[in-house]
Amino acid sequence: MNSFFRKLRWLTERRSKEAELREELQFHLEEEADERQDEGMAAEEARWAARRELGNVMLVQEDTRAVWGWTIVEQLGQDLRYAFRTMAANRLFTLLAVTSLALGIGANTAIYSFMDSILLRSLPVSDPESLVVLNWHAKTAERDFVMHSISGTYDEPKSGATGGVFPFPAFELFRKKDSVFSVVFAHFQGWQVRKLNLTLKGQADLATGWNVSGDYFRGLGVSPAAGRLISPDDDQAGAPAVAVVSYGFSQRRFGGAASAAGQSILIDNVPFTVVGVTPPEFFGVDPAAAPDVYLPMHTNELLGAGKQFGFSSEAYLDQNYYWVQVMGRLRPGVSLAQAQAALAPAFQQWVASTAANDRERANLPALVVKEGAGGLDSLRRQYSQPLYVLMTLVGMILALACANVANLLLARAAARRREMALRLSVGAGRLRIVRQLLTESVLLASVGGALGIVLAIWGIRFLTLLLANGRANFTLHANLNWHVLGAAAALSLLTGVLFGLAPALESTRVDVVSALKETRAGRPQAGRAFRRVSLSQVLVLGQIAISLLMLVAAGLFVRTLSNLQSIELGFNRENVLLFRLDARNAGHTDPEIAAFYGDLRKRFSMIAGVRNASLSEDSLIDAGTGLPLGVSGAPPNDANRILTVGPAFFTTMQIPILAGRDIEERDRPGSPAVAVINEVFAKANFGDRNPLGQHLTLREAGEGARIARDMEIVGVSRNACYGGLTQKIPPVAYIPFNQGYPRPDQVVYALRTAGDPLRYVNSVREIVRQADARVPVSEVRTQVADINQTINQEITFAELCSGFAILALVIACVGLYGTVSYNVARRTGEIGIRMALGAQRGRVVRMVLREVMVLAAVGLAIGLAMALVASKFVASFLYGMKPNDPLALATAVATLLGAAIFASYAPARRASRIDPMAALRNE
Amino acid sequence: MHQAPPSRVELLQGTLDLLILRTLLAGPTHGHAIAKHIQRTSEELLQVETGSLYPALHRLEAKGWIAASWELSDKGKRARYYRLTRSGRKQLATEQSKWRAFSRAMGLILNPADQEGQ
Repeated sequence: MNSFFRKLRWLTERRSKEAELREELQFHLEEEADERQDEGMAAEEARWAARRELGNVMLVQEDTRAVWGWTIVEQLGQDLRYAFRTMAANRLFTLLAVTSLALGIGANTAIYSFMDSILLRSLPVSDPESLVVLNWHAKTAERDFVMHSISGTYDEPKSGATGGVFPFPAFELFRKKDSVFSVVFAHFQGWQVRKLNLTLKGQADLATGWNVSGDYFRGLGVSPAAGRLISPDDDQAGAPAVAVVSYGFSQRRFGGAASAAGQSILIDNVPFTVVGVTPPEFFGVDPAAAPDVYLPMHTNELLGAGKQFGFSSEAYLDQNYYWVQVMGRLRPGVSLAQAQAALAPAFQQWVASTAANDRERANLPALVVKEGAGGLDSLRRQYSQPLYVLMTLVGMILALACANVANLLLARAAARRREMALRLSVGAGRLRIVRQLLTESVLLASVGGALGIVLAIWGIRFLTLLLANGRANFTLHANLNWHVLGAAAALSLLTGVLFGLAPALESTRVDVVSALKETRAGRPQAGRAFRRVSLSQVLVLGQIAISLLMLVAAGLFVRTLSNLQSIELGFNRENVLLFRLDARNAGHTDPEIAAFYGDLRKRFSMIAGVRNASLSEDSLIDAGTGLPLGVSGAPPNDANRILTVGPAFFTTMQIPILAGRDIEERDRPGSPAVAVINEVFAKANFGDRNPLGQHLTLREAGEGARIARDMEIVGVSRNACYGGLTQKIPPVAYIPFNQGYPRPDQVVYALRTAGDPLRYVNSVREIVRQADARVPVSEVRTQVADINQTINQEITFAELCSGFAILALVIACVGLYGTVSYNVARRTGEIGIRMALGAQRGRVVRMVLREVMVLAAVGLAIGLAMALVASKFVASFLYGMKPNDPLALATAVATLLGAAIFASYAPARRASRIDPMAALRNE
Repeated sequence: MHQAPPSRVELLQGTLDLLILRTLLAGPTHGHAIAKHIQRTSEELLQVETGSLYPALHRLEAKGWIAASWELSDKGKRARYYRLTRSGRKQLATEQSKWRAFSRAMGLILNPADQEGQ
């Protein structure tokens, strides 16, 4: 350490130390000369002898300086200065290299920051590693399964069904396992709390809620930002209604965490007290949802009271109703495997007792204990696969950029052969030169990396916009953190070394004598070298192959998108404004609520520029209601779907009526119940018979199955999409929203407008405010946006991939252009001779192009082989086509060939313009 | 059988440091005098290359075994004088005992007869 500080001090005294060394050596010389003079030499001779004895003074100084210990740093300084000068001297080269690297590194950093926030980050709670999430897994949950009803979701891919919701009795079973868990807690987003009408001081707004059991916050180890959090005492039937709000929500609605605690609010018209606020970084346990309000799960009874599909406390006892998500914190020292071993048999035993028959017993769900440090994996399930595909694509872009820079460096290394040979011949070490060249490439990569991070910041914003696609409640927020920046820096360094090493080694492997003898016109054996497979040709081959892959990917995704967009909807998506109202949560009750909705429809239709207005329980794309419905006299058919709609629905959506009529104003409460069916319904239930005048029977859900409506079919409509773009259209009965069960809760209005639908939003808000200020207008969007949201991933993929493919093509073209130009320049002499011997210009152009085409053909062959294999991995992202779509492949190949010719035509022409005399004179 | 001793001996790697330290034990002096001292004391067998003397002096200084200061020489000229530091003395002692062990070992192997005779 001592020696380190001494050297550090010397570094600051650099100049005086140099002078001292000179003086010291001078003294030595004089002393030596004096001595020799004393021995009898002449003064002059003695001085020379002393000089000879000392040897090379410069070398002694150099060696002594080396002892001072900062040679490496100094040399690095020299290398950097030299590298900067070289970069400044070759501006075009620097620009090309830095730009392609910045794009590559930027794209990678942006995508990686999303991966980081989605796949890798832990929950911001204490000791997240000891949290576990409970799931079940079964062969199938489609039929003959112990789960008779569900509130929540489960996945059913080919590998079997997996779900995260359990019956309440199962939760109680887990709660007893205190040898494994220190805490077990339940949480879920009951459908009642998904969109809450939250009224504070008379002002209503929508909020998203989350149900939690009393131990939720204790189990997660979260402390309040203000007030207190929900405790087990709050989560009891009959306990005072309390709520906890998120930090962000307290800022937005209460003007700060401190002023939120203790406030009284109305949630869906039920009085609640806000007892506390969660800390700022807390977003619950589902990264896909950031709830505004946390409610004790037992408040579901309060919110569900008096509603036709409201929550009832029987759910707590129902062993076949799956609805609560369960998480737990393992006791210290208990591993995931131990927890699994302890819990699975207990669950197995319990779930077997809930099976109603042998078929259900044959397919029981098994418990799966998963690690819960990252919270629920809803986001991971949704985005991990697309992210891996994107990561692969941007990885390929970076590879392209690296290949490009390596190629440019190689070309430059060839141009610098004489310089290198000169340096080697005057005694520079090979390692020293490699180090110098590596410094240059790492510097290039670092500049590229720094710019790349700037690009990544934009990229993240752009990607967030693209993924959110207009959704206001989009919760996925990626940002740059040290984690991501570290990865970007490491990536830059790695790429710098990667693309720098080969050219650096190549350029120092110089036969000094022959290199120095070279003329400026080129290497003597240039002609032969052109046909030999060089490193630069391999790089170009790789670039062509990768570009082809990207073009194929882009082609596949673009065609998928266009397939999706050309799906026959059955209605006209243009110029329709959609928005949701929930008057029920604001306090409206039957039968007045139907009149309120009906009255609003009339007022909307009177807005100047609104051609038609109607309403339905959901937009056509979101629709999906199944109640026991069948032809009168026959049992209900499970496949049948309904959609409750308002008057003029078919006119508004422009769904053609094939027979009979639309739902009209005269179909009101008390008048004969009617229905309009779609073609599928007619075909399935009536075959060739005329359905008009036939009757349908709708029963109430549940065991009682009371007849709710007996409806006469008054119309048959053309098929229209129902519940999604790519779903098979089911048999649908459209029934008036105001003719009894199911009575309207929330509704979606559809306004057919003249011109841009969003122009009418203000008029709509004003009308609703006048009608009832307690009812917020939400989910305002156009019908086009509503549809696009369901194909968001496909749109994102098509846009990103096209962008990436264009980028790849540009990078590859630059690489090809550089290589061909360089080869032409090297062969100036040879081409000159050919032309002097009578070669025509066209022949020269063809000769150069032919060589490029051979290169391109080999690259394409490799790329095609890769594409055929790789496109299978994206098969699940495609719609309406096979992974090896010939059109996409052919387009990609043609585009790439065109680009290759385009990139090499300019240098080829330049070759044909070579003046034979000038070229030969140069030899 | 007897070979004439070579007129000059190449310094073994690493021995120059030891020689410099030993020379400075007698008292502070400058680089030229150190070289001459080594040469004379070894009966002109060891020739110190100036090219390696000064780097060695600076290396020892960097390690803190010797310290330097500018003094006036016998002839009244400014010269850089080196002297042994406390840690330099310790280093000299360890180096010396190491060297003694080494040369005894070399002697044992090269002249086994001498040992047997004793």
